[in-house]
Amino acid sequence: MPAGQPARTPELQERRYRGAKQMQSFYIRYRNTQGTLMRILNAASRRALDLPVVQAEPAEHDHQVTLALDVNQKQVGQLYREWYAIADVIQVSSDQVSSGAAHTAEWTAAHPPAGVTMEESRAAARA
Amino acid sequence: MHKGADIVLQCLRAEGVELVFGYPGGAIMPLYDALEGSGVRHILTRHEQGAVFAAEGYARVTGQVGVAMATSGPGATNLVTGIADAKMDSVPLVCITGQVRSALIGTDAFQETDVFGVTLSLTKWSRLVRTIDEIPEAIAEGFYWARSGRPGPVVIDIPTDMLKAKKEFSGPVKFTPHARPADAKADGGFTDTSFTTKIAALLQQASKPVALVGAGAKLSGAIPELRRLLDHLNIPTFATVHGLGAVPPESPYYLGMVGMHGTRAANTALNESDLLMVFGARLDDRVTGEPTRFAPHAKIVHFEIDPAQLDRVRPCEVSVIGNLADTIPSFQAELRQHSLPDFSGWRAVACGAERAELDPRGLAQPTIRFLDELFSRLPESSVVIADVGQHQMWAAQRYRSSSPRGFITSGGLGAMGFALPAAVGVQLAKPDTCVLCVSGDGGFQMNIQELATVRRLGLPVKMVIIDNKYLGMVRQWQQLFYQRNYAETDLSDNPDFVEIAKAYKIHSFRLNEDAMREFPVSNETGDEIDRFLRSPEPELLVFDCAPEANVFPMVPAGAALSEMLLEEEPTQ
Repeated sequence: MPAGQPARTPELQERRYRGAKQMQSFYIRYRNTQGTLMRILNAASRRALDLPVVQAEPAEHDHQVTLALDVNQKQVGQLYREWYAIADVIQVSSDQVSSGAAHTAEWTAAHPPAGVTMEESRAAARA
Repeated sequence: MHKGADIVLQCLRAEGVELVFGYPGGAIMPLYDALEGSGVRHILTRHEQGAVFAAEGYARVTGQVGVAMATSGPGATNLVTGIADAKMDSVPLVCITGQVRSALIGTDAFQETDVFGVTLSLTKWSRLVRTIDEIPEAIAEGFYWARSGRPGPVVIDIPTDMLKAKKEFSGPVKFTPHARPADAKADGGFTDTSFTTKIAALLQQASKPVALVGAGAKLSGAIPELRRLLDHLNIPTFATVHGLGAVPPESPYYLGMVGMHGTRAANTALNESDLLMVFGARLDDRVTGEPTRFAPHAKIVHFEIDPAQLDRVRPCEVSVIGNLADTIPSFQAELRQHSLPDFSGWRAVACGAERAELDPRGLAQPTIRFLDELFSRLPESSVVIADVGQHQMWAAQRYRSSSPRGFITSGGLGAMGFALPAAVGVQLAKPDTCVLCVSGDGGFQMNIQELATVRRLGLPVKMVIIDNKYLGMVRQWQQLFYQRNYAETDLSDNPDFVEIAKAYKIHSFRLNEDAMREFPVSNETGDEIDRFLRSPEPELLVFDCAPEANVFPMVPAGAALSEMLLEEEPTQ
């Protein structure tokens, strides 16, 4: 690349990143503890996203809420991460996520808590 | 048999809590009744907001969980600003609120507020206790979430009848988080160190790399690891307001604070960089300026513990999720296997004296000279707490601390009134440390009642008010961007702060700008500042600041960092 040439055009990248909105279904498994469902919904409502479909129901030992949201790619990423940051969210998945996006490591990577050693974290994950 | 209130206090002790900050009221009276002899010391503030900010100050300076208590209804809602502040700035905080008795919940009873609902979007975790049996688990889990990962606020709301109820109590419990598939993935991904080779490759390709350090550096406890890495990289480095102190200011590659009021050198280097390495920073708008024009030539490598913060501004080339204490050593081990390109030419340009100077107009400002005098005379290991506004940015620009927890302020939320109560918490945590609280005349009045707390406890807090008789930062924006329409920012009818302090039996005095016109300052002024800083008693110094003094450099809202103003431009 010639010296001084930008690595990319941020505006163009931003446009691609935001992209067009499309309706997507999200399936969020969670432990039905106080406020968890509200926190899940709040991640959508704080972005002023309409919630045309919300269906919460028991799923095996846990619960699952299905949401339909009109979102762009950037919002999908943000929602995934924000949902995973909720204490009792177990797993997030969705339909119609663009190729590869659902498997982006950082979306599904709930961080090991700092107060827990890696060994403890591994042990908890294996439990 | 133990009362619920006793169980709460025993569980707090089990979590290592020695101090709580609070204000009593009806629903939480049983907990106050049980305080004596519990081993938990209660600090009475004069407002619940004072309590929560004091708990934050304690937490910010120690890294331990701060605890605030309040009653139901208005007591609980008065905590909300502090809870939001703790969320934004990643402060471990547990708020315990009394609630109306269980049978009255949902009836709009006297002093009933749905504090669980009110704080739902501000907390990491919260619990409305339904039975006395839940108390030990709620407290253990609350403390776990407050401390874990990216620290944050927790609310535990306890109905008054649960505090009065009795049960057999076998002792506090320990909380173990549930495993989830994502944790296993994260764990697996975490031990996968392929990110290190990717970053090493990016460094090999880079010609203008820079490093940005945020609050995560101190929160992770990874300061030694980070400093070793930065010494090794030896690339231009700057910090967010919460990253100040993480990098020794005398480091030859350090350029100071970045962002809206960052140094010219830092903002310029960031704008020119082709590789930006971020260590524990959220990259909020005060750091980035206009996001689409942030670091326009740079690829971004983001080390961050909170996945929710990634790609918020722009997608990163490499995201490294985890605690810096774990990820930095992995990265540095990889780096040792490579020889870094020679960045000395770039470093010489970015760190050159030409860029390093602050705006000469700023240096000439008496207020900045005053802060320089004050900071230069501070004892070692002092802690400076800044409120919110112009003085906050002046202090952030001028205080050069090597202590990661040496500069404390409300950064993300920008909550005026933070500094005085936070200083109470800091001084209680560090009784032998010089604690300097720098406020503006607007912010100081937002929690001025905490002078009573300072006096009651005899805390030797040193309080400074930079008094420009305006809401200075708002006025500055009005001057620069609203054609000097100083709408409702004039505080020229301020009370006499010296007299107010005297009413609280706190020694106070005034300095005006004339004292700073000489350089160096007269012996008399210098001695007065020294005496003030070393007094064993609380003291208040009111510095009369020019009403229209401004903070520069400044990046206007919506502008890129490259468009910073170095001095005032004529109003359009």
